[in-house]
Amino acid sequence: MRVALAEDGALFREGLLMLLEAAGHEVVGSTADGDALVELLDTEPADVAILDIRMPPGPDGGLVTAERLRALHADMGLLFLSHYAESHYLMRILQIGTEAIGYRLKEKVGSVDVLSDTLARIRAGEIVIEPVLAKRLVEHPRGERKGAVESLSPRELDVLRLMAEGRSNNGIAAQLFVTPKAVEKHIASIFGKLRLAEDATEHHRRVLAVLTYLRAQRDED
Amino acid sequence: MVMCTPAQWPDDGGAADPERPAGSVPSSRPVDLGSVGTRQAVRDHWLRRLGLQRRLHDGASLQISALVPRLGVVRKQLSDDEDGVRLSIDDLQDQLHTVLQELREVSREIYPPLLDQAGLGPALCEFADRVAVPLRVVAPAERFGPEVEGAVYFAVTQCLALLEAGGPPVEVVVRREGKVLVVSLDGVPARHAVQVLSQVQGLGGQVGVAEGPGSGTITVRIPCA
Repeated sequence: MRVALAEDGALFREGLLMLLEAAGHEVVGSTADGDALVELLDTEPADVAILDIRMPPGPDGGLVTAERLRALHADMGLLFLSHYAESHYLMRILQIGTEAIGYRLKEKVGSVDVLSDTLARIRAGEIVIEPVLAKRLVEHPRGERKGAVESLSPRELDVLRLMAEGRSNNGIAAQLFVTPKAVEKHIASIFGKLRLAEDATEHHRRVLAVLTYLRAQRDED
Repeated sequence: MVMCTPAQWPDDGGAADPERPAGSVPSSRPVDLGSVGTRQAVRDHWLRRLGLQRRLHDGASLQISALVPRLGVVRKQLSDDEDGVRLSIDDLQDQLHTVLQELREVSREIYPPLLDQAGLGPALCEFADRVAVPLRVVAPAERFGPEVEGAVYFAVTQCLALLEAGGPPVEVVVRREGKVLVVSLDGVPARHAVQVLSQVQGLGGQVGVAEGPGSGTITVRIPCA
């Protein structure tokens, strides 16, 4: 896969660069800020751009840069790596796009397998969300959502957590060692209990529905 | 515009005048250094906390994060018969994540990074995960400076942390009234006002309470620029 990287911390940038190369990806370039990344991608196409959130230009330069990149290269995947897994940033990321986009903690993409899996899912158009954050969203739904989420069975909570990570039905089935058919059943039950309209055809819409549900208050900001 | 500056609060113009020539401090009347000194000390306190939090992030945290992909590179170079080493590396990476999570927790208690980066609204919303009752936050995007935001954040969150599950929903509303930042906590017992006051009085903050049936409203007023 062709990957471009922008990260202002030299140590982490170098480490990630080495890992990307060890994983067999072609790194078309790495920069220390967003503007340089935009310039780079002007001439060097990439499948996925990896961006730090907190880097120049400005305090949240990664987000500003990603907005420009989405407008310039609609098909290119975006992976945000950050030191913080906060729902505040997740909601801002989902405003940039809800397809081919990911948000993960820097230290959680430290193996060839996880890094390549994350990049492959983004390239395939999925949303990828840091499991630590997805878990927090599911365990601490906001306000009036609490009661509905508490009505879910432990297994349904597992499924909801994996859905919030952006996993597909097959991905959830593999994680839980059950059949995709069983996952579908759980999801139908979850959507019923949460009174969400189920849209089985569009994976990213389903993830979005889950996230919006878990962070309802954010829309009122 | 309503000006609700408390009597104790010095005028901004008179607090520290850089134009005043050295040695011209009048000796005929007492100089009110009390509240000015306190305000400066409180400001220094919050700036120190903010500095420590940023240092934790820019130093230790970034260095530890950078180790993780390096370990991943080492792991990739192992031959097929080195599964034991592979598992050790997985374990080390997990432990580094645990260390970083602990550092994040400490940072949050010193001065929440999100408060620094995005202000009171997002930081208080994120704290809702840690509150036992449903919480609604209404806050402007405006920034109020590290000392006011720090004091308000910890005043509000320490109060919310005292609430027990099963209580009524709480609404926190932050708004500006002229040169005063007003924060109202609706749905909390009035007895928690003491906790709130201890956080904000160093900045000349005042706390008022209104008792309601079962719960009340605590209102904080802090002078701000």
